Amino acid sequence: MLASKNKATNLYQAERKTLFSFLLLYSFFSIVLLAISGYLYYSLQKELMLEGQVNKLQEDSYRLISKLRYLHEHFEEDQTYPRFSTFRSAIYDSNKNLIFTTLNEENVNLDKTIYTINDNIHYVRLLESYYLGAMYVVIEVKDDGQWFNYMKKEVVIYGIVLFVLLLLVGYYLFRMMLSPMRNSLSLLDRFIKDTTHELNTPISAILTNIEMIDIERLDPLLQKKIRRIDIASRTISNLYKDLTYAALGNRVESKDEDIDMYLLLKERIEFFKVISGAKNINCIMDLKKGVHLQIDRTKITRIIDNLLSNAIKYNKRSSFIKVTLRDTYFEVEDGGIGINEEALSDIFRRYSRFNKSEGGFGLGLNIVKAIADEYDLHIEFSSKLGKGTKVRISWGK
Amino acid sequence: MGKIGRIVLLVFIAVQLYAKTEKTDIYTENCLQCHNQMSLTMQKIFMRYLLKYSSEVSVKQALYDFLKDPNYFTSALRKDQIARYGLKNKTTLTDEQLRKAIDIYWEKYKVFGKLK
Repeated sequence: MLASKNKATNLYQAERKTLFSFLLLYSFFSIVLLAISGYLYYSLQKELMLEGQVNKLQEDSYRLISKLRYLHEHFEEDQTYPRFSTFRSAIYDSNKNLIFTTLNEENVNLDKTIYTINDNIHYVRLLESYYLGAMYVVIEVKDDGQWFNYMKKEVVIYGIVLFVLLLLVGYYLFRMMLSPMRNSLSLLDRFIKDTTHELNTPISAILTNIEMIDIERLDPLLQKKIRRIDIASRTISNLYKDLTYAALGNRVESKDEDIDMYLLLKERIEFFKVISGAKNINCIMDLKKGVHLQIDRTKITRIIDNLLSNAIKYNKRSSFIKVTLRDTYFEVEDGGIGINEEALSDIFRRYSRFNKSEGGFGLGLNIVKAIADEYDLHIEFSSKLGKGTKVRISWGK
Repeated sequence: MGKIGRIVLLVFIAVQLYAKTEKTDIYTENCLQCHNQMSLTMQKIFMRYLLKYSSEVSVKQALYDFLKDPNYFTSALRKDQIARYGLKNKTTLTDEQLRKAIDIYWEKYKVFGKLK
């Protein structure tokens, strides 16, 4: 299985989340803006349509008024309200009481001159002489809705085009805002790659030469100095391996093999004993024999080394480290400084560190997480500030 | 029908007749008596008021104002009509009687419910 390449320069999960939130908010405001624009366009089109109808409706009202005038003057002989084939009408007195109506739509707004209501257009005209007591004359014609269908099509097409354009602009803006951060990450990544390449030879030389020294034959003062060099070298070695993994390791294909977890854990604890000894930390081992795991040796070693390294680095002097191995998990527990709850969510992020006073690049747990994800290993992280931290890696439940 | 039955029927008819006479009397006795002798009909006068005042409230108030104080300004008739028919004297009716007479007049000639 190949792990994803060049993770540092790709979008992080948090970055993707931010992009998603940004685009969601941006889309929401874009839609609101487009909806307002659409509504304004609709109002304008409606107004234009009504303006186009006014002349015709005015003529209709003249025809009606003329008939009303006749009826008013001959009311004793004729009480038949005038009706027309092209429009319907109603008359109201000055108190807005209905005198007579042939309208389809009962709801009439006498305060507006022209408006649409339920597929009807109403035109209201005030009379100077109140024939039959009518102060308001209402003319009603059917609104065929052609203008609305045409406008709807326009709004939908232009709305979608504008929305897509706004989204593209939003995405471009987001990328532009993030580019300084991405450049910094890329620079750091390149630096790590260059550094790891140059570190390999001197670290190997130091470690080999220290192993070749027969410490017991040296005087105590020199023994102490050599041990310090040994501790420093092993720390650098661990850091070097992390950097190598971060920079190159995730491009190398995994070579899974049968790993005896008992032997590997014991070997790595022995490796770190020199460093833990310097802090007078007691290493407790509760390892069950015969636990095997099919995994890449380098990668499981990176997990163990990083957990042990952290357990030592963030431990108190004269405290303890307990390593437990069972059939389905192993765990590393320490009696160290612990981490507060707020920081727990960030522990697997690359370049994040629990404690700035301790050295390191903040790569360790990011590497642990990447390898665990690759092999479907489950990480349980529990910590109490001032009391210690426990990390359990479990598999195959 | 017994004696009591006949008395009750007579009283009922008498009450109905009295009510009807009372309703029309004020308007008929005080308005129609003179207007019936004029060529300008009550309907025409009503339509003049309707043309000028539109609503029931306004028409009734205009009629009341004119009858209380008949002059060129309170009348809804044209000047030539006033010149021809003259202005009437102030009403001698009480406010209540006057309003009653106007109500009868409105009910008789109103447009509401008459259009078809």
